[in-house]
Amino acid sequence: MEYRPRTPREGVNVSAVHPLSELVTLVLGISLAVVVLVVAAFIVIEVVIRWVPPSFESRVFGSLWSADPGSEPEDPRQGAAAALLGRLESHWEENPYQLRLAIMEEESPNAFAVPGGTIYLTRGLLDSVESENELAFVLGHELGHFRNRDHLRGLGRGLIVSLTLSALVGGSAAESLPQVVTALTESGFAREQEDDADAFGIALVQAEYGHVAGADGFFKRLPDANADIADEFASYLATHPVSEARIENLWSLAAENRWRVTGELTPLPR
Amino acid sequence: MTEAAIKLGFPLLLLFGTYLIGSAVEKAHYREIRIRESRSRRFPTVNFRTPPKSWQIVGAEMVAGNVVISIDYFKRFIAGLRMIFGGRVASYESLLDRARREAILRMKETAFERGYNAVINVRIETSRLASSNRKGEGTAGVEILAFGTAVKFAK
Amino acid sequence: MILSNTEEIPGQTIREFYGVVTGSTVRAKHIGRDFMASLKNLVGGELKGYTELLQEARQEALERMSEQARSIGANAVVNVRFSTSSVAQGAAELFAYGTAVKVD
Repeated sequence: MEYRPRTPREGVNVSAVHPLSELVTLVLGISLAVVVLVVAAFIVIEVVIRWVPPSFESRVFGSLWSADPGSEPEDPRQGAAAALLGRLESHWEENPYQLRLAIMEEESPNAFAVPGGTIYLTRGLLDSVESENELAFVLGHELGHFRNRDHLRGLGRGLIVSLTLSALVGGSAAESLPQVVTALTESGFAREQEDDADAFGIALVQAEYGHVAGADGFFKRLPDANADIADEFASYLATHPVSEARIENLWSLAAENRWRVTGELTPLPR
Repeated sequence: MTEAAIKLGFPLLLLFGTYLIGSAVEKAHYREIRIRESRSRRFPTVNFRTPPKSWQIVGAEMVAGNVVISIDYFKRFIAGLRMIFGGRVASYESLLDRARREAILRMKETAFERGYNAVINVRIETSRLASSNRKGEGTAGVEILAFGTAVKFAK
Repeated sequence: MILSNTEEIPGQTIREFYGVVTGSTVRAKHIGRDFMASLKNLVGGELKGYTELLQEARQEALERMSEQARSIGANAVVNVRFSTSSVAQGAAELFAYGTAVKVD
């Protein structure tokens, strides 16, 4: 038995795939898979929502949120707001909800539609609205969310997507990528929801006052954190479309329906 | 604008930068390995226990060569993505190939420097060094150990 | 390519030997298999998914080792040894090595 010096062929134990092309393939593949997953989760939620009647919703969630400590109606504005809500509801024929109004002690102006039929307004919102028309639009917007069952959607989607993602990917180093893709996909859906709620809100304002003046006041004053982020990308990541875009939508809707855009603004009781 | 650019740009830059540097380091290492391998061609390295009868062995000693290689950010990122889909992790294969050849070369060179003529009964062991952060899940590096018995021929 | 984990091929003589040849591959499991494995961890039993995965990987490692041996003109590899190690959480390296020889 003799020794013969030989050198084996180079590259047998490495794969001949270029790292950059592999990176691109993997990133695309994962993004696609995540988008499919998110869309599938949304579709499932749509189907489920159709089967959850508002009465069931009020029973299950109503008890959770109705107990509101510190909501003594010492604020005269709350009574006026509740009355306004009642008037707006009267324009919504198929309203299946018994809606309640509650005040949240919070500085920044905001409003929430909560499963079970409660609309929360922050004290900051009550402080900042300048006319009843503005408040009417905000309330109408929230009514729009209830009409589309958006609040349930948000709950369901968030649950499904985060559960499946964490079960599948959880803990691996590359989980940031699926998260980013999910956030982007979800933002797309969320903007659509907001636009729909805006449309319903302004329709209610028109029905109540006969004109839509003042409805955009809220948007005009929103602290535009996106002021210096002018490009589409950053605003796309935010779940609320940039205020200017929403204002434009409102006016084009008004123009389409030939609603009057000027009129008297009703002040709020102080 | 700047916020979005920084959020997305920095990881991308890091990825691309480590890819460039990593592949340059890898190419240089491979070149060096090939040179050393061609120089040590005449040095038999085998993994059987019984040496050929024609060898008259007058001395023997265990020798070892080891190397610890770290995994660069780019390779780790790709591997992380790959572990979602499964399949061959190409980014690690070249790393381990280099490490193994380096370890074997070091073993050969150690034996040669000490005046031996061949190495028999070569064994190769691989182990992962877990990183101390991240609960031991991350990989600080991979160690490859090649060891065998160096033998000296009678002249 | 004759593979054997003995020092000699039974019934044949080694004429020439060339040195150590290696074959390795790094494989990662995917989340589907992971999920099934975690379910199996509740009831116990063979993790068929992983068994298949490692079998494929080992096959490929042997293939690559034979490829190296073929490229230097050997027709057998003796003293084949395996080594499996985890190189990252979720990825394992399958490694096979032996001495490439020519027998007749």
